[in-house]
Amino acid sequence: MIEIPFLTLLLFLPLAGAVLLLAMTTRERLAKATALTIALAETVLACSAWFSRGDTPSPGYFLFVDSPWIETLGIRFTAGMDGISLLLVILTAIVTTIAMLVSWRSITERVALHFLLILAMESGIMGVFLSLDLFLFYLFWELMLIPMFFLIGIWGHDRNVYSAVKFFLYTMVGSLLMLLAIIGIYLIHGEQSGVYSFGLAALTGTSFSPATGFWLYGAFLLAFAVKFPLVPLHTWLPDAHTDAPTAGSVILAGLLLKTGAYGLIRFGYPLFPDAARTLTPLLIGVAVAGILYASWIAFAQKDMKRLVAYSSIGHMGFVALGIGAWTPVALSGAVLQMVNHGLTTTALFALVGMLDERAHTRRIEDYGGLWNKIPLFSAFFVLFFMASAGLPGLNNFVGEFLILTGSFKGAHLATVLAFIGVVLPLVYTVRLIQEVLFQEERRPLLLADVSPRELSILAFLAIADLYIGMHPAPLLEILKAPVAVLTGGAP
Amino acid sequence: MTTVDLWIALPLMLLAVGALLTLLVGAVTRNETVTTAIGVTVTLGAACWLLQTPPAAVAPTLGLSAAGLPRLFSVFFTLLAAGVLCLSTGYNRGRDIHGEEYPATVLFATFGMLALASATNLMTLFLGLEAMSFGFYILVAIDLKRATSGETGLKYLLPGALSTAFLAFGIALLYCVSGTLSIQGAVQFGLADGRPDPVALAGWGCLLVGVAFKLSLAPAHLWTPDVYQGAPAPVVAFLSGGSKAAAILLLLLLLPRAVDASLLRAPLWGLALLSMLVGNLAALLQNRVRRMMAYSSIAQMGYVVVALLSGTGGGYQAAAFYAMAYGVISLAAFGAISVLERQGCGETLDDYRGLGHSRPFASGVLALALFALAGIPPTVGFTGKFLIFTAAVRSGEITLAVCGILLAAISVYYYLRVVIALYGKHPGTADSSRPTLPEYLVLIVASAAIILPGLWPNELILLLSHLLP
Repeated sequence: MIEIPFLTLLLFLPLAGAVLLLAMTTRERLAKATALTIALAETVLACSAWFSRGDTPSPGYFLFVDSPWIETLGIRFTAGMDGISLLLVILTAIVTTIAMLVSWRSITERVALHFLLILAMESGIMGVFLSLDLFLFYLFWELMLIPMFFLIGIWGHDRNVYSAVKFFLYTMVGSLLMLLAIIGIYLIHGEQSGVYSFGLAALTGTSFSPATGFWLYGAFLLAFAVKFPLVPLHTWLPDAHTDAPTAGSVILAGLLLKTGAYGLIRFGYPLFPDAARTLTPLLIGVAVAGILYASWIAFAQKDMKRLVAYSSIGHMGFVALGIGAWTPVALSGAVLQMVNHGLTTTALFALVGMLDERAHTRRIEDYGGLWNKIPLFSAFFVLFFMASAGLPGLNNFVGEFLILTGSFKGAHLATVLAFIGVVLPLVYTVRLIQEVLFQEERRPLLLADVSPRELSILAFLAIADLYIGMHPAPLLEILKAPVAVLTGGAP
Repeated sequence: MTTVDLWIALPLMLLAVGALLTLLVGAVTRNETVTTAIGVTVTLGAACWLLQTPPAAVAPTLGLSAAGLPRLFSVFFTLLAAGVLCLSTGYNRGRDIHGEEYPATVLFATFGMLALASATNLMTLFLGLEAMSFGFYILVAIDLKRATSGETGLKYLLPGALSTAFLAFGIALLYCVSGTLSIQGAVQFGLADGRPDPVALAGWGCLLVGVAFKLSLAPAHLWTPDVYQGAPAPVVAFLSGGSKAAAILLLLLLLPRAVDASLLRAPLWGLALLSMLVGNLAALLQNRVRRMMAYSSIAQMGYVVVALLSGTGGGYQAAAFYAMAYGVISLAAFGAISVLERQGCGETLDDYRGLGHSRPFASGVLALALFALAGIPPTVGFTGKFLIFTAAVRSGEITLAVCGILLAAISVYYYLRVVIALYGKHPGTADSSRPTLPEYLVLIVASAAIILPGLWPNELILLLSHLLP
C-alpha cells in the first residue's frame, strides 16, 4: 500500500472533495453534506497536526514533504509545516467549515457548485500556507483566486461582476509581477550556484545587487500588499466584500487577507533581507496610514458590511506594522493577530450575513432596537464587535498589544500613531452598537433570534476568542521557534 | 526511391490519397458521415504511422526528414485535423454546409502542414506552406449560403497571396546568396560575423513579412478579426491551432540553424511588442466573442515571438511548447464555440450570458480554454507563458518580459468578461440540446490536453530540450 504523506493529504483532501462534488451537481443536499463532512475531516486533520507535533518543537519544520515534480526546471513538490503554518492551517480549516455553515441556507442556486468552489479554495489556501517551493506557492496562490472570483461573480449581489473583476485584476497584476520576480530570483540563483531550483531553502541566501534586489522584492511586496490590502492598494476590498455572498466575505477576510502577510513573512523578508530592510519604512508608513485612514473611513460607512471591510483594512495594518518591526515580539504578535482577525472577522461577517438574510438589508439606518427583539444575537454582536475593537480580555487585544510593544523600540512615531488607531475602532464600534442594538426601532422588521446552527457557529467563535484573549500562551509558545529562526537571520 | 523514402513519405501519401478517396467516395454516396469517417481514419492512421517511424531517418531524394521535431509536430497536426473533422460533422449539418469537399480540403491542408514540417529543402517548405494555405483559402469561404462568406474568403486570400509572394521572394533571395535550396545550407549563409550580406538580409526580411502574415502579427494582422468572425468555427479552430503552429514551426526550422540570428532581433522585438500591444488592447474593446478571440490570438502570437527572440536561452523550446499548447487551446475554445453556435448561440457577448447553466459542458470547456489563454495555472497556457518568460528573462529581454506580463494581466479582463457572462445571471432558458458524441470526445480530449501537460510538463519539456538544444 502506498503511504500518503500527511501534508499531501492535508493539501489535496479538499480538492479531491471538490472533484467528488462534480458528480453531485443535481443532488444538492448530498453535495452539501459531503462538502461539510470533508471540511470537518480537514479540520480534524489540521488539529491532529497540533497534537502530534511532538513535545519539543525543533526550529525547523515538524512536518515536511519533498518529492520531484518538474525536474527539468528544478521544480519540486516541497511543503513543510512549522508553528506559523500550523496556526494558519488550523484557522483555514475552521474558517472554511464556518463559511460552509453560514451559507447553508442562504445559497439556493447551484448549491453544489458553491460548495465545490469553497473546497477548491481551501486547497489553494492550505497550499499557500504550506508550500516551500516558489513555483508551487505561485500555483496555489492562483488556485485560491479563481474560486473566489466565481463566488463573488455568481452568487454576489449588486455590482458583483464589477467587484469580481476588480478583485481579480488587482491581484493578477500583483501576482504576475511576482511571477516575473520568481523567475528572476530562480535564474540569478541558478547562475550563481549552477543549480536551478525554486526551493525556498535553496534560494534563501542568494545575493543580489542592491538594485536587482530592490526590484525583485518590490514585485513581491506589491503582490502581497494588494492581498493585505495596504493603502492605497485597498480599493478592491470594500467592493469585493460588499458584493460577495457571506461565505465569500468570510473566506476573503478570514483567510485570503492573511496570505499576503504570510507571504511577506515566509518569502519576502527571508529571500530579500537587504531590500526588505530598505523598504521597511515604506511598509511601516503605509501600515500606519492604513490603520488611521481605514478607521476614519469606517466611521462614515452606512453599510455594515462595508464598515467591517474597512475595519479589516485597519486591523491588517497592525499586522503589517508588526511585520515591519521584525522583532520576535512584534512578529509573534503579527501572526497571532492574523489568527485573531481571522476568527473575529469571520464572526462579524457571519453576524452581518445573518441580519442580511433575515431583513435583506445591511444599512445601519434600517435597524434599531435589536437588543430587545433578539437578545441572544445582540449579545454575540456586542461581544464580537468589542473583540474587534480590541477590548482587553478578548483576542484582538493580545495581538495588538504585542505588536505595539514589539514595534515601539524601532519605530516610535509609527507606534504612537498606531495607538490612535487602537482607539478609533472603539469609536465607530460603539456608535454601531448603539445604532443597531439600542436605538429605537426604525423599521418594523420581523427578525428571528439565532437558530441552533447559527448559535453553534457563534458560540464556537466566542469560545475561541475568549480563550485566546485569556490564555494566548500555547499559541505564542508554538510561534516561538519559527519566529526566532526568522528574526535571527533578518534585520 | 528507397524503402526508407517510402516510409517517411507514407503519412503524406496517406493524407493525399485519403483526400482523393474522400472525393471519389463522395461522388458515389452523398453521405457525409462516411466521408468524414474516412478523413478521421486517415488522419489517425497517419498519426499512428508517424508515432512508430524510426526517428532521425532522412529521405534526401524527396527533401523530407522524419527527425524528432517534424515528427512531433506532424503528430500534432494530424491529431488536430482529426479533432477538427469530428467537430465539423455537427456544425456543418447545422450550418447547412454539405459535400465531400470539406473533409477532402481539410486533408489537403493537413498534407501541406506535414510537408512543411518534414521539409529539409526550401522548395518543399514553400510547397507545403502553399498547399496548406490553399486549403485554408477554400475552407474559410466554404459556407456558401452565408452572404459574408465570400468577403471573408477574399479578405484571407488577397493578403495571403501577397504574403506568399514575399515568402517566395525571400526564399529566392536566400537561394541567390547561398546557391542551395537545402535549409541547412541556405540559412547558414550571409548572416555571419557582423558583416551581413545585404541580399541575405533582404531575404530574411521578406521571409519574416510572409510569416508575420501567417502568424497574424501586428502590423500584418488586419485579416484576422474578419476571418475569425466569418469562417465556420471548426475551420477557425484549425486555422488558429494548425496554420499558426505551422508558421511557428517554419521559423523553428530556420532560426536555430542560422549562424547568427541576432540580426533579426530588432524586427522580431518590434513585432512581438506591437502584437502584444495591439492584440491585448484591441481585444478589450470587442463585443463579439470571436473577434475578441482573434485579437487574443494576435497577442498570443506576440508572446511566441518573444520566445523565438529569446532563442537559445530555452526560447525555441518555449515557442514549440506554446505553439502546441495554443493549438490545443484553440481546438477547445473554438470547439466549444462551434457546439454553442450549433445550438443557436449568437455572436455577441450578450448571447453568451447564462450559457453556463443551460449548456454546462461546452461552457465549461470554453471557460477552461479562456483560463488557459489568460495563463492561469494549472493549464498548458500557464506553463507555456512561464517557459516563455523564463527564456526572455534568461536572455536579458527584461523590457519585453515586463511589458508582456503587464499586458497579460490586462488580458485577464477580456477573458474573464466572457467567463463571467457564461456564469452570470441570465434570462433563464433551459435547453435540452446536447453535444453529439464526437463533440464530447474532442472537447474532453482537448480539455485533458490543456490540464494534464500543465500539471506534468516534465516529459514534454525534456523531449523538446532534446529536439531543440
